[in-house]
Amino acid sequence: MPVIKNEYQGRKPDEFRILLGLEGYPDSRNIKTYIEKSNGYKALEKVLKGGMSSEDVINTVKASGLRGRGGAGFPTGLKWSFVPKGPGEKYLITNFDEGEPGTYKDCYISEVTPHSLVEGKIIASYAIGAKKSYIYIRGEFHNEIRWCQEAIKEAYAAGYLGENIMGSGFTHHMDVYSGAGAYICGEETGLISSLEGKKGQPKLKPPFPAIKGYLGKPTVVNNVESLAVVPWIINNGPEAYKKFGTEKSPGTKLFNVSGPIAKPGCYELPLGYPLMRFINEDCGGLIGGKKLKAIIPGGSSAPALTAKECENLTLDYEAIAGAGSMLGSGAIIVIPEDVSMVSVLENLMDFYAHESCGQCTPCREGTGWLYKISKHILKGKGTKTDMDRMYSIANNMRGKTICVLSDAAADPARAIVTKFAHEFEPYLKG
Amino acid sequence: MPIFSPELTKTIEGFLTRYETKRSSILPILHAIQDEKDWISDEDIDALEKNFGLSAVDVREVLTFYTMYRQTPPKPYRFEVCKSISCWLMGANDTIKTLRHEIEKAEKEGRPLPFEIHGVECLGQCGYAPSTLINKDRHNNVTPEKALQLLKEYSAKELPKAAVLCATNLAAKAQK
Ligand code: SF4
Ligand code: FES
Repeated sequence: MPVIKNEYQGRKPDEFRILLGLEGYPDSRNIKTYIEKSNGYKALEKVLKGGMSSEDVINTVKASGLRGRGGAGFPTGLKWSFVPKGPGEKYLITNFDEGEPGTYKDCYISEVTPHSLVEGKIIASYAIGAKKSYIYIRGEFHNEIRWCQEAIKEAYAAGYLGENIMGSGFTHHMDVYSGAGAYICGEETGLISSLEGKKGQPKLKPPFPAIKGYLGKPTVVNNVESLAVVPWIINNGPEAYKKFGTEKSPGTKLFNVSGPIAKPGCYELPLGYPLMRFINEDCGGLIGGKKLKAIIPGGSSAPALTAKECENLTLDYEAIAGAGSMLGSGAIIVIPEDVSMVSVLENLMDFYAHESCGQCTPCREGTGWLYKISKHILKGKGTKTDMDRMYSIANNMRGKTICVLSDAAADPARAIVTKFAHEFEPYLKG
Repeated sequence: MPIFSPELTKTIEGFLTRYETKRSSILPILHAIQDEKDWISDEDIDALEKNFGLSAVDVREVLTFYTMYRQTPPKPYRFEVCKSISCWLMGANDTIKTLRHEIEKAEKEGRPLPFEIHGVECLGQCGYAPSTLINKDRHNNVTPEKALQLLKEYSAKELPKAAVLCATNLAAKAQK
């Protein structure tokens, strides 16, 4: 099991701020604060004026080991390197469609440090050769839309966006695009369709967006957090970044905690941080001293882990995958002893049944039936056969669909039905 | 009365040239219409086709897919309470129940309130649960008590411009 490096043992989360260094400053969103207090736009200068080629930028990010922070954890530098070189239009799109229940870190980044995102986006666009980029943001995020727009406007005024930036010959334009209430637009191909003014329904891959994305042109879709950390990596170098975290999961990551916990919030931690130390010490434990029943470690798509499984677990991609779940977006949902897992299942399935885009039969029908059956059981009308039925429906939903929403519903359902089978018994008729 | 105000017409024209394709402007245009008129009617879609060359089929595809667009006239304030897992764990159902009860009670007493209540999916504020939106205003940690307080506060406010326009348009239509 990966352990966090010794030099970090005993230190508090606020000593690991790479991305959230401006937390607590009154005008942290302002470009002036970003420039003065956070080395703002120094990385962009280093890239454009210091003679870094796009290859150099990609190699630096590759060397840092940064993995996509949206959920899938794919290496960011590698993703950039898939974009064909040479002339032709290319696009960079930031996925700010944060809609996974439990997850609120990207909102927090735009609240504290939107310029990190803007600067990271310009650098990433330079690396892949994109003259235009978008921030695709959920329509419900009225404040965040405003904050991003203001940051972009300030960056234009300061000459970090527009034609021939800092005399380097590199031109880049950025815009915000607001979604309209569809969770599935967080899936990259669904997001691209939505940006094209269509239904946000996912498409089969391949072709991957890096080859054929927005308007059929090469497109990179990156999460807010993955891009916002890029300026720090360029400024401080990949080796400095790798000092944080574990060997396979380097760096820090934002973790957001929700549910009945004393100090919910968004914390920056080095990957590999011990989960229970985080919950009990840094987050102050459960409200009212209640006992922990389960944790959903990576947003609602991640299979729940029992309290026992959480003991000795560390917060990094490998350890959580090893425990049969996933780190996902880093959203930790805490479930106390007095909440029935039958109703947790019903709540989760309600969400996925509502959000399935309906293209694939296993997903459309499967999420609907999992929701209906769990509701039925919750009312005390279920039987033992219903338990088997749920398990088999979930099995038939896995890996058979266009996108992973189907798996995102099936995996948590399977985990709850098997790990917490005893909790269902009192609800079953026989 | 023209179907879109001069300002809205200008906004729409701006969107049509802002993106790579005209079609990309459909989502922002629908947001803008809704911001001004509170909902999107069949007449609005016809006008988008006739006056701005957007295919009515393309517009309808978007309108019916995304939950944020309203296809019927709404009440002046939409009180949306997140009911997804983190908010649910923190008592979102009680907040929704309390709000519904209060509104029904007021209705029965002959003093209808200008609200609709919706349980919605995650609003991206899970640590400050239950999270809510009233139109575009975010309110967090909305316990049943705080929810009732918000009903009072908003009832005492002047109605939003879009709601007033929506009511005027409906009255004019009814007269015809
Ligand atoms: S898996 Fe579900 S959400 Fe994904 S494309 Fe198929 S139906 Fe749509
Ligand atoms: S679960 Fe309610 S805001 Fe995310």
